Amino acid sequence: MRRAALAAAACAALIVCILGSGAHPSFDVRALAAFARGVFPPDLSPAFLGVVGAAIARTLGIALAGTALSIVWGLPLGILATPSLFRRGPLVAAERFGALSAALAAASLATRALLRFLRAVPDLVWALLFVVGFGLGPLPGALALGVSSAGILGRVYADLFEGVPPAPVVALHAAGASRMQVFAAAIWPQAAPSVAAYTLYSLECCVRAAAVLGFVGAGGIGGEINLSMRLFEYGQVLTLILAFVVVVLATDAASRRLRGRFQRNAVHGSSFLRGPVEGYAGRRGVHVLLWIALGAIAFQQAGFLGIAAPGLLGRFARFARQLFPPDLSGAFLGSLLEPLWQTVSISVIGTAIGIAVGGALALPATATLVLDRRDPPGFLGRAARLAAYAGSRLLLAMLRSIPELVWVLLCILAVGLGPFAGALAIGLHTAGVLGKLYAETLEEVPEAPVEELRAAGATRLQRLLWAMWPQARETLLGYTLLRWETNLRVSTVVGLVGGGGLGLALYNNVQLGFYARASTLVLLVYLLVSVTDWLSDRVRKPVVSAEAPPPSAMELVTAASGTPAAP
Amino acid sequence: MTVYDLRDVDHVYAGRAGPVHALRRVSLEVAPGEHVALLGPSGAGKSTLLRLLNATLRPAAGQLSFEGRDLSKLSGRELRVVRRRIGTIFQNPSLVPSLTALQNTLCGRLGRWGLFRSLRALIAPASEDVRAAGVALDTVGLTGKAGARADELSGGQQQRVAIARVLMQDPDVVLADEPFASLDPALTVQLADLLFEVTRGRTFVAAMHDVDLALQRFPRVVGVRAGQIAFDVPAGEVSPALLQSLYAREARRAG
Repeated sequence: MRRAALAAAACAALIVCILGSGAHPSFDVRALAAFARGVFPPDLSPAFLGVVGAAIARTLGIALAGTALSIVWGLPLGILATPSLFRRGPLVAAERFGALSAALAAASLATRALLRFLRAVPDLVWALLFVVGFGLGPLPGALALGVSSAGILGRVYADLFEGVPPAPVVALHAAGASRMQVFAAAIWPQAAPSVAAYTLYSLECCVRAAAVLGFVGAGGIGGEINLSMRLFEYGQVLTLILAFVVVVLATDAASRRLRGRFQRNAVHGSSFLRGPVEGYAGRRGVHVLLWIALGAIAFQQAGFLGIAAPGLLGRFARFARQLFPPDLSGAFLGSLLEPLWQTVSISVIGTAIGIAVGGALALPATATLVLDRRDPPGFLGRAARLAAYAGSRLLLAMLRSIPELVWVLLCILAVGLGPFAGALAIGLHTAGVLGKLYAETLEEVPEAPVEELRAAGATRLQRLLWAMWPQARETLLGYTLLRWETNLRVSTVVGLVGGGGLGLALYNNVQLGFYARASTLVLLVYLLVSVTDWLSDRVRKPVVSAEAPPPSAMELVTAASGTPAAP
Repeated sequence: MTVYDLRDVDHVYAGRAGPVHALRRVSLEVAPGEHVALLGPSGAGKSTLLRLLNATLRPAAGQLSFEGRDLSKLSGRELRVVRRRIGTIFQNPSLVPSLTALQNTLCGRLGRWGLFRSLRALIAPASEDVRAAGVALDTVGLTGKAGARADELSGGQQQRVAIARVLMQDPDVVLADEPFASLDPALTVQLADLLFEVTRGRTFVAAMHDVDLALQRFPRVVGVRAGQIAFDVPAGEVSPALLQSLYAREARRAG
């Protein structure tokens, strides 16, 4: 009955959102046709390829510099936010609770709150604020990534430090080691391989994120896409999107290889401090030099040389002062109800589109359903089945490899500015992500019950309905809710590029110089995201914990970053 | 006419160290209504043989006929028609864990239902189907458990649901793969009685790990060893020497 209630509530929410969102679906077929004609062939002229190359270099620079900043920030914050170091557990239990301990405990709690704030505000919003403060260019992009990704890394670091096997920690403490000595000798060595792995994963997410920061003027490949769109140079747009996809795939592959090595080392019990075991120790110095050189190039690409320019920091300080105090007047707050509602609607409608399209594409993409070779093929031959499988997998990969914000630009062409473009864009990207997750969940369902139904004469579709779906549905619901949470974050920013909702209000107020209002909006986004996290947690926990294992730290990162984990 | 007619059936599957011959040149006939026990050490190929008999595996070589029709010549649809006439009870019944006992019982009817009816039955089954499933659950002694999720049932109860599902399927042939292997002795007796009740008048082939039970209840006993038929005799002719040679290697390894 709980399930029926949940389904009814979801349907009701969707209907209310569709009716109340002010999204009027209308397709501009002509504009879409012009786009389709313009896209081919992609612009591969040497001059433009040079532009693409420079944009990629700058994007990677932004991502790398942003990650470096977020480590510098996130590591101390993560240590401070670790409960077992400052607030509870064996290290603190015997301590006399003096003024210093109290202050540290309070600071630790405050740090957790700060980290939550840093990661709840979307990176694109940070980028917009930094662009206003520092001017156009890659520098605000790197700073924005540094801030938002520090919020994620700090939290994950704290979780990793908290989760190390406690025996060595307790032993060292009992031998009289101080808290920081315990950290250095017992906690860090145990957590280091995972810390390295998650940091790399975070770099991967930053590359994805860096590519779209350009939409608000923070440089990189997104800026070029935006520019080419505005100039109706659709051939260039296609080249840029393809280049972006290649960059993302290459980063994924590289990061997965490196991460695999760290994780293997974690299993083998070797620590990062002593150097990973596999063919690494001898070349360690070279690697360090390589990373330093790479970092230097990254910071140069991200425009950090300009930070010393006279007046720049002063300019930013002046802007930051204008953000306070936030405008909390009744009239302004009242005017925010509509965009707030629109944002929620965009996320709900977008997720619904994603479920429908992704679900439809997931069925042909499920190998165990389509490519089962044990029975003679039905009315579809084997070749047709294989084609459907490959085609749907390819389509899903395409849908999810293009970020939501790029989809917004494309959707604006088809349906015009406004919330519907935002919802459609989120829906298309979500379809790619959910479709893949759905297909993989269905493929991984325990086989024995499915096989028993096959033995009793059930068809493929009957096996899907009666054995695969019942076994998968809890996991599918969990993924979908997690995705909705992510989509709510995204729906607060689709407005920055013309997709309606809170993002649009934020963009307008920033453009008009109403910075006190902008900071109110940032607070509102923070509140909205926090409430959703809490809500989704409440719904998800009883549902998911019944069957699936609790989300891994990697899923926490994914959930916290609002960036698709699925490549 | 025979129900099953196997001629020189081979089955090979891909093992880690190359192909493994699970069955070699197996020939066997089973007449309608006959009850046959398969005996043999584990790994002898009994399960593979049963999976060939319920038409979910295909022989690598040789001919396997069901009621005179060569199974390898049938289309997917025709195979499903064959399968729905054969009910299988597995050693550890894999019910769908998140469905209720009633729904798992209804699964026995899937082979007769079209897509629409099976979709409807998942959400709101027709009252006649619910009644039939209720009767099946009563027969196996699970009155009152219809609404329980399968993963909340004990092993013995799950095995009963599997039997109820076979009752719903109402097949001409029942196959069972060591159906009592994971149950305690008291439950074994209860469930054996139930199973023989259910299979009366139907063809019944069962892989048995309990030799005494097999000799008591089955008129015909087939010994399977290393993928081949070692003997095929009436139960009365099974001598200790015959059994010893069947399980010989196992005994030596255990000793």
